[in-house]
Amino acid sequence: MSVLQRIRTAPPRYWLVGVVILFFVGLPTVIDSFQASEWAQALILAIAIMGLNILVGYSGQLSLGHGAFMALGAYTSAILAHRYKMDYLLTIPIAGLLTGIVGFLFGVPALRLSALYLALASFALAVVAPSLIKRPVELTGGVHGIFVPPVDPPQFAKDAYAAVTGTAMTSDQWTYYVTLGCALVLFWLAWNLVRHRAGRAMRAIRDGEVAAAASGVNIAGYKTLAFGISALYAGIAGSLFGMAVGYVSPDTFPVALSIQLIVGAVVGGLASIPGPLLGGIFVYFLPIESNQWVPTQTWIPSQIASTVEKAGPAVSYGAVLILIMIFASNGIVGLVTAGYARVRRRLRGPGDRETGQTSPDPQTV
Amino acid sequence: MSALLELEEVRAGYGPTSVLHGVSLSVPEGEVVSLLGANGAGKTTTLRAITGGVRWTGEIRFAGRSLRRMHTEDVVRCGIAHVPEGRGILTELTVEENLKLGSHLRRDGAAVRKDYERVFEYFPVLRERRRLSASTLSGGEQQMLALARALLMKPKLMLLDEPSLGLAPMIVRTIFEIIRAINQADRVTVLLVEQNARLALDMSSQGYVLEVGRIALKGASAELKGNESVRHSYLGY
Amino acid sequence: MQEFLQQVVSGIATGGIFASLALALVLIYNAMGLVNFAQGEMAMLATFAAYTLINRGVSYWIAFPLTLVIAFAGGIAIQRIVIRPVERAPILTMVIVTLGLATLVNGLAGFFFGYVPRSFPSPFSAQTVNILGALASYQDLGVIAVTGVVLLAIYLLLQHTTVGLTMRAAAHHPEASRLLGVRVSWMLALGWGLASAVGAVSGIMVAPILLLEPNMMQTIIIYAFAAAVLGGIESPLGAVVGGVIVGVTINLAGAYLPFVGGDLQLAVALAIIVAVLVLKPNGLFGRPTARRV
Repeated sequence: MSVLQRIRTAPPRYWLVGVVILFFVGLPTVIDSFQASEWAQALILAIAIMGLNILVGYSGQLSLGHGAFMALGAYTSAILAHRYKMDYLLTIPIAGLLTGIVGFLFGVPALRLSALYLALASFALAVVAPSLIKRPVELTGGVHGIFVPPVDPPQFAKDAYAAVTGTAMTSDQWTYYVTLGCALVLFWLAWNLVRHRAGRAMRAIRDGEVAAAASGVNIAGYKTLAFGISALYAGIAGSLFGMAVGYVSPDTFPVALSIQLIVGAVVGGLASIPGPLLGGIFVYFLPIESNQWVPTQTWIPSQIASTVEKAGPAVSYGAVLILIMIFASNGIVGLVTAGYARVRRRLRGPGDRETGQTSPDPQTV
Repeated sequence: MSALLELEEVRAGYGPTSVLHGVSLSVPEGEVVSLLGANGAGKTTTLRAITGGVRWTGEIRFAGRSLRRMHTEDVVRCGIAHVPEGRGILTELTVEENLKLGSHLRRDGAAVRKDYERVFEYFPVLRERRRLSASTLSGGEQQMLALARALLMKPKLMLLDEPSLGLAPMIVRTIFEIIRAINQADRVTVLLVEQNARLALDMSSQGYVLEVGRIALKGASAELKGNESVRHSYLGY
Repeated sequence: MQEFLQQVVSGIATGGIFASLALALVLIYNAMGLVNFAQGEMAMLATFAAYTLINRGVSYWIAFPLTLVIAFAGGIAIQRIVIRPVERAPILTMVIVTLGLATLVNGLAGFFFGYVPRSFPSPFSAQTVNILGALASYQDLGVIAVTGVVLLAIYLLLQHTTVGLTMRAAAHHPEASRLLGVRVSWMLALGWGLASAVGAVSGIMVAPILLLEPNMMQTIIIYAFAAAVLGGIESPLGAVVGGVIVGVTINLAGAYLPFVGGDLQLAVALAIIVAVLVLKPNGLFGRPTARRV
């Protein structure tokens, strides 16, 4: 099929993906630099959530400690850049790879744990991680962390940006584009992973380990692979996070971060590709928006406003998590595909009922 | 004699599979009625429908009261004891604790104590093994425990699902004698599901034969015993 | 030697606090096969309830049982409203719901009470008494006594009353119990209520030491996890023994191992969890269970 034919016969969701990509590429041109940094952080969370989703949604292993993997990636990059003066962009894949290997090694003992024990152990890890980071002070800078100097955009990027918008590209915007690039690559990789054999194997494991083993699936191999891949994603996300925020410290990776990741995965929709993107955006912007909205409401007294600022996200996160698991356990993506399927059935009319065709698995995007 | 239990056109199944296709039967008060049939005919499903373990349509009435939409525990509290396939022994608990769960709903303390005495008379092995875990009992002993427990519930109706399954003939004989005693001395109505048709027909005054989810035959047990097809299919001669 | 004994006694007291929360976890695990990640936060909220009562002039020894009753009711309410809708869902879903619950309860506590740490009274004086040549504080002995009484009460309730029997039956054999007229769903709710009340004890006992604020129980829950895992997640006795062992271990580690500072005691708990899960996953008193296919 020629390229033109391919474009014409592509299913509608490919067009949607194209539109979304264009939106993100063009976004920094219409928002200010600070907002670009915010969107970069949302994308960073989306990357980490994508990794977590591969572990939880596709291979059915629940880890509540991915914040610790992000910390590992972030500190690896920060140490390499700060101490060994490496080019920051170069540190990103290194951090990812290192974290991926560590994750893979974690996956090995994790095989022996039931889902519950894995959740418990990883949760404990997430709580302990900050104190473990503080200890080797010479390496990690202890409580004060490591400062990451802003990364300047390279000349070609500056020129391209100036040609399009007429303004100079800031380092925040460059960070955004680097993040976007990583996100595109990683999402594309994930999409391929789940479409092909590894994805099917993982889903088989998730849905029934004993049956999968009986069908000859290499359980240990795929489960540890899932762990490694998800850790790799988290590591890259952590590394990008250091770049976006400008410093890494033990307090930037509390257990709340691991909870945020799981909230994002569930809200967006487990076992889906667009889910993590939506989840990352939701998880990042909810506290900010509620923080900005509450103080503007003059009828709320200031003490309440300040406790809502601190407590607000937790209450909304918690409530949303519970409600979604009760009513819509496939997250936003699940709701959308269910709604879409209903609309399509109504539009199609009686014709298709005769063929008795069943709609394809809505989760294979 | 009025019917203690009545089923009318009961349909039931598991998800998309339908097992009972319109079963009607009635169990007169004070009698032992047997429900026969081959494996898969729907005997167990019939009992489960009565105690709410499976969804059903149609009508099921106990002492005139409809059991529609009632939870299992509430059906049981109306006075029905159901000894399921596999006996439903709580293996995490001791023999004594299992028995206590039989009597835990009763308020008549003195009568309960007398019933315990009777139960231990019927099944002395249970007294010996009171404090042991129920999981240490053999198959026959577990059946005795299940029966004893059901007796302690002081039910009006007992549903017994394959009490002879997997047991040695001697033990089966003992158990069936005790079932007969329970029926006669305590006036407990019994609906007996059995693959061992001969035993069941000997015990009961009436019988129903279930085939592929429908009642194929019914009548007095003596007649059924003499019936050609029953003899061929279930009595082996 | 004296100091060692003191550390041990102190460790037993801390262990009692861990044991109470661990017992709550075990009760719910036995009922539903689920580890309730919100147990610590529920205990924290109950402690705030106690604080409110005491602030309004209720004497400590009335506020204490009153709080347990409130916690009991709260546990039942949570089971009915939040847990029952997802009762039949896969374990992962239920775990995520308890995580959501933990976040929600933490946020609510912050919303209603703020994040400023408050001091919480202890009915026991800080004075010490001489036992076998070692000095033990009334505080430690009091905590040991209170948690001991509560744990004993739970044991008696579960093993020697009809209600306890029906709760155990409903937890281990729900279907068979229904056929015996046991209202299994309500027994589950009772289990949550009981667990919540037991957990509240740990919150009330620890608040004078850690100061009362919404994040108070976040480390205690990790120690409770370690205790429950060490003892065997389905064994109430294991929770108690595990709690005491964890308490004594971290106390001794903190006192005698130079690199284990305050915050690294938590890492000791993590090490215990990992060690148990790798070496003896069923814990000290747990039984290996066959996997249901």
